[in-house]
Amino acid sequence: MRRVKQLNGSQQIGAAILACLVGFAFLEWLLNGTDPAVQNLGNLFAAPSLAEPLGTDQFGRSMLARMGAALRLSLLLSLVCVLTSATIGVALGVLAGWREGWIDRIVSFVLNMVLALPGLVLILLFAGLAPGSLLMLYLGISLVLWVEYFRVVRAITRASVASSPMQASRMLGFGSFYCFKRHVWPALLTPVLTLAAFGAAASILALAALGFVAVGLRPPTAELGLMMVELFPYYSEAPWVLAQPVFAVFLLIIALNLLAGKTK
Amino acid sequence: MKLQVFLGAFALAVGLIACTPNQNPDVLTLGGPFEFTSQDPARDGYVYTRLQIAESLLEVNDNGELLPGLAQTWDMSPNGLTWRFSLRENVRFHDGTPLTAEAVVNALNMALRKPGVIQSAAIESVNVEDALTVAVHLRAPYRRLGAVMAHYSTAILSPASYREDANVAWMQGTGPYKLVGFDPPHRIQATRFEEYWGKQATIPNVVYLTGHRAESRALQVMAGQTDIIYTLDPASLNLLRRQDNVRVYSDTIPRTIQIKVNASHPFMAERNTRLAMSLSLDRQGLSEKIIRVPGGEANQLVPPSLAEWHINDLPPIKQDIVRARGLLAEEGWLPGADGILERDGKRFQVSLITYADRPELYVVATAIQAQLRAIGIDVDVSIVNSSGIASGHHDGSLELALVARNYGNIADPLGLLIADYGNHGNGDWGGMGWHNDELPAVLEQLKSERDPVLYREKAQRAAHILAEEIPVIPVLFYTQQTAVSSRVQGFSFDPYERNYRLSEMSFAQP
Amino acid sequence: MIGLLLRRLLQAAFVCWSIGTLTFILLRLLPGDMEFRIAAGRYGHDNVDLAAAEAVRAELGLDQPVWQLYLNWLLDLMRFNLGDSLVSGLPVVHEMLHLLEHTLMLAGAATVVSLLIAIPVGLYAALKANGWFDRLSLMVSAFLRAQPIFMIGLALILLFSLELRMLPVAGFDGPRYLVLPAISLALAMAAVSSRVVRHSASEVFRSAFFTFSRIKGLTFRQAFLRHGLRNCSLPVVVFLGIQLASVIEGVVMIESLFSWPGLGHGLAHAIFSRDVPMIQGAAIALGLIFVGLNLIVDLTCYAIDPRSREAA
Repeated sequence: MRRVKQLNGSQQIGAAILACLVGFAFLEWLLNGTDPAVQNLGNLFAAPSLAEPLGTDQFGRSMLARMGAALRLSLLLSLVCVLTSATIGVALGVLAGWREGWIDRIVSFVLNMVLALPGLVLILLFAGLAPGSLLMLYLGISLVLWVEYFRVVRAITRASVASSPMQASRMLGFGSFYCFKRHVWPALLTPVLTLAAFGAAASILALAALGFVAVGLRPPTAELGLMMVELFPYYSEAPWVLAQPVFAVFLLIIALNLLAGKTK
Repeated sequence: MKLQVFLGAFALAVGLIACTPNQNPDVLTLGGPFEFTSQDPARDGYVYTRLQIAESLLEVNDNGELLPGLAQTWDMSPNGLTWRFSLRENVRFHDGTPLTAEAVVNALNMALRKPGVIQSAAIESVNVEDALTVAVHLRAPYRRLGAVMAHYSTAILSPASYREDANVAWMQGTGPYKLVGFDPPHRIQATRFEEYWGKQATIPNVVYLTGHRAESRALQVMAGQTDIIYTLDPASLNLLRRQDNVRVYSDTIPRTIQIKVNASHPFMAERNTRLAMSLSLDRQGLSEKIIRVPGGEANQLVPPSLAEWHINDLPPIKQDIVRARGLLAEEGWLPGADGILERDGKRFQVSLITYADRPELYVVATAIQAQLRAIGIDVDVSIVNSSGIASGHHDGSLELALVARNYGNIADPLGLLIADYGNHGNGDWGGMGWHNDELPAVLEQLKSERDPVLYREKAQRAAHILAEEIPVIPVLFYTQQTAVSSRVQGFSFDPYERNYRLSEMSFAQP
Repeated sequence: MIGLLLRRLLQAAFVCWSIGTLTFILLRLLPGDMEFRIAAGRYGHDNVDLAAAEAVRAELGLDQPVWQLYLNWLLDLMRFNLGDSLVSGLPVVHEMLHLLEHTLMLAGAATVVSLLIAIPVGLYAALKANGWFDRLSLMVSAFLRAQPIFMIGLALILLFSLELRMLPVAGFDGPRYLVLPAISLALAMAAVSSRVVRHSASEVFRSAFFTFSRIKGLTFRQAFLRHGLRNCSLPVVVFLGIQLASVIEGVVMIESLFSWPGLGHGLAHAIFSRDVPMIQGAAIALGLIFVGLNLIVDLTCYAIDPRSREAA
C-alpha cells in the first residue's frame, strides 16, 4: 500500500486502468464459462445484450469471452517476457558492472550482436521459424528486451560500486551480498520497474504487430492484433466489435506508459 | 513564424495532391493476390494470359469448349497419334516478327523442357509441317491434347523471348497488350499493341498491382485507386456491395473448396468416419454467412459447369449431427470428459492445414474447425504456404487439408483427375492413403475414349465413385468475387480464369 | 574519427556474419520440404507435384549436406554474392537493391516529415512550457504512442483514401503512393521526438548560459541561434540514433500494410515463403542500414559537439 502512495498522480491513474484490465481478464475467466472458440453462424455481429454484453464477432463468437482470453494472453505473455528478460538482464548487468573484466567484455559483445539488429526484425525471424508457436514469440521478445536492463543495470552498478558509501561498507568488512542489498539494489529498483513497464508495453505491441503480419499466433486464438486484422474489413458493418481490441490495446499501453512515469 | 510557414507548405502540398484524382483516364488498374516472379509461361504464365499479353494455340469459351486461338483449325489423325494445328495468318509478335510454325515449335519445345500439364500428354516430337502448320506426334493417344494447348503454360512466345537455358528474358507475346514494365512481385505494366491481329484494345494502358493483404485490396477499389479487384475476401463483400461506385460480380467458376483427407490415418480410414465428418458441416451456413453467397453448397467434387462430370440428381448433403455421432459411435468413437471423442484411449485430434492465397479458405477453415468440434473432433488449424499440401502428401504428415481445387485448370478435368486419383486413387491434391483401382482404370479408359456418349457414361461412373467413397470431402462450390469500379464498362469474367478480357473493356465518359 | 569508422565497420562485418549464420542455422531447422515450397512459388499452386519438386531439387542442389551449404554460403558472402532467390531465381543482391531503394525512400521521407513536425511542435511547446499547446502536444503524443503503428496507418487510409479519396490505399506506382506510408511512419516517430525536442529545448531555455546571453543583450533569436541551437540539437541527434531501431521496426509494419515494395515487406514475405537467401539478404540489409544510420548519427554528433572530438 505504501508503494501505491509513492506513485504520482498519473502513475496512479495508470495503475488503476491496469488493475481494471487485469480484473476484467481474471473475472471473465472465473465467472464466464463461454468458450471463446464456439461459433454460432446464426448470430453474427449481435449487438451487445444481457446475454452477450460485448456482442458477437464475424463467426458469432462471444466477444466477452474473446476479449477476456485475448487480454489474459497479452498480459501473461508480457508478464513472463518481462520477468525473464529482467532476471537475465539484471543478473548479467550486476555481474558485468561489479566484476568487470572478461565477463563484462563477453556480455557486452553479445549485447552488440543483439543490438545490431532492430528488435522487431529479430522477433520476426524467431516467429518465422515456427509460425503460431507461443514459445518462439516468448523467446524472441525476451531476447530483445533483456538488452535494455543490462545496459542500465550495468551502468548503475558500476557507479554504485565506485561510490564512497559502498567503499566504506566494504572497508568495514561487509560481504558482497550485504553490499548489494544495501547499496546497489535500492539504486536499481526504480529504473528496473520503469523499464519493466515499458518492456511490458513493448511486448504487447510486438505480439499485436506479429499477428498483423501473419507470422504470429493462429486462429482461433483470441489475440488482440489478430482480432484487429480479422475485424478490420467489418469496420463499417460492426464498428463496435472492431473498437474493442483497438481500445483494449490502447488502454493497456497507455496504462503501462503512465505507470512507467515520465519519458526521459 | 516557422510553424506558420510549415503549416502553409503542408496545406499547399495536400491541396496539390487533392487536385489529382485517384483515377487516370488512360490507365486500367487491376489488383489481385497473385504474385509473379518470372516471365516464364511454365511458372507464372496465367498472369500473362490473363493480362492478354501472351496467347495460346487454342482458346476456351465459357462452356469449356475449345475455340480457335493462334491456331485457326486443328485435327487429330485417325489413330490419335498425330495432331495438326494450322496457324492464323498475319499474326505478329510484339517484337515485330511474324508468327510461323517454326516459332510455335520452338515455344512448345521450350515448354516441354519444364514441368507442367504438357508433360501429361506423351509427346514424342513437335514438328514444322509447312510454314503455317505444326504437327504434334504422340507416343499414345491423348484425346484432351487440345485442352493442354489452351493452357497458359503452352502460351506461344517469339523465339527472341527465350534465353539459352529456356528461361524467358523478356516476354514477346502476340496479345492485344504488350509487356512494358516488370517489377516482381509487385507490378506489371502493359500498353496496347497496335499491330494486334484481332480487335484492338480500347483502353491504352494496363497496370497490375499485387495486393498482399485481402483487406487492403477491398479498400483500393473503394478509394478509386484500382478499377478491378480480383479474388475478394468474403469479409469485404457487404462493405463493397453498399458502395455506389463499385459493382461486385459473383461468378461461379469450376473450382471447389474441399477437404483432402488422409485415409491412411488410423482415425480416418473408415468410410463412416469420413461420412460423419462430411455430415457435421453446415454447408448452408458456410455459404450464406461465411462466403456470403447463398447456394454454394457442394454435394460432390466436380461443379455443375463441367456437366459431363457432374451428377445432377445427387441430393444435397444436409448437416446431421445426430447421424454423424451415431456413425462415429459405430466405429468405436465415444465422447470423453471434455466432449472430444476417444477410442482405445486415443483422442480424436487431427490437424488441418490450409493456405492464404485464397482469402476465404482461412475463414472457412476456422468455421469448419468449430463444426468438427461439435461432433467431438478436435482440429488444430494452421496456415501454410500452398506448397505445404503437396509436401504433406508426400511425406505423409498431412492429416486434413482445406483446398480450393480448380477443375477447369485445363478445359477438361480428366487430366486433373488423373493427377489427383490416378495413382491407385491418390494424388498430391486428391486422395491420400485411399485405395481404389476402379477409378484410375475408368480414368485411363477415358484418355482414349472418342464416343461422346460413352465418355459421359464413364465420367459419371467416376463421379459416382468419388461421391460414394468420399476420399475427399466436398464443401463449397467456389464463387469468384470481383469488385469493379463503376467507370469500367464491358466487364465479364472467364470462368476458366485464363483471360481477363481487358481488351473488351472501356471507360465510361465522366 | 578513424577509430569511430573502424568500430562501425567491424560492427557491419559482424552483422553480416551473425545474421547470416543465425538465419542459416535456424532456417535449416524448418519443418517441411523446401523444394515443394519453391516449386509452388515457381510453377503455380495448381501445378505442384513431385516432378516439379524434383526439378527444383536438382537445379538448386538442395540435397547437399548442410555443412557444405553453409560453407558455400560463407564463401559467397565474402565475395558479396548473396546467392539467388529460391523463389524467383533472380540474384538476391539485385532484388535487395530494388527493395533498398524503396525502403530508403520511405524512411528518408518519413524522417524528414517527422522532423518537420517534431521540431516546430517541440520548440513551440518548450517556449510556452506547460501552456495549452504543450499539454495538447503531450496528449497527442501519448495517444499516438499507445497505438500499434499499423493502426495509425489504417486510420489515415480511412480518412484520406476512403473518405476523401485523395490518395491511393496501397501499392507502389508513383510518388503519390509514398504520401500515406511516409506520414504514418512520420507521425509515430514525431510522437516521441517532439517530446525530446521539447525537453532539450526547455533545458536550454532555463540554463544559465542562455539566461546570461539574454542578459548581455542578445535578442531571443540571436541567443537561440548562437548558443541554444547547438546545445539542444545534441540530445535530439543522439535520440534520433536510438529511434532508428523503431524506424526500422515501423518500416516492417508500414510496408506490409501499404504493400510497399521495400525491405521490411520483403523480409516478412520471404519468411512466409521460406526463401532462405532472401531472408538472409533482407535481414542483413536492414542490419547494415541500421549500422550505417548509426554511423551517420556518430558523425553528426562529432560535427556538433567539439568535446567528443577530443575524446575520440
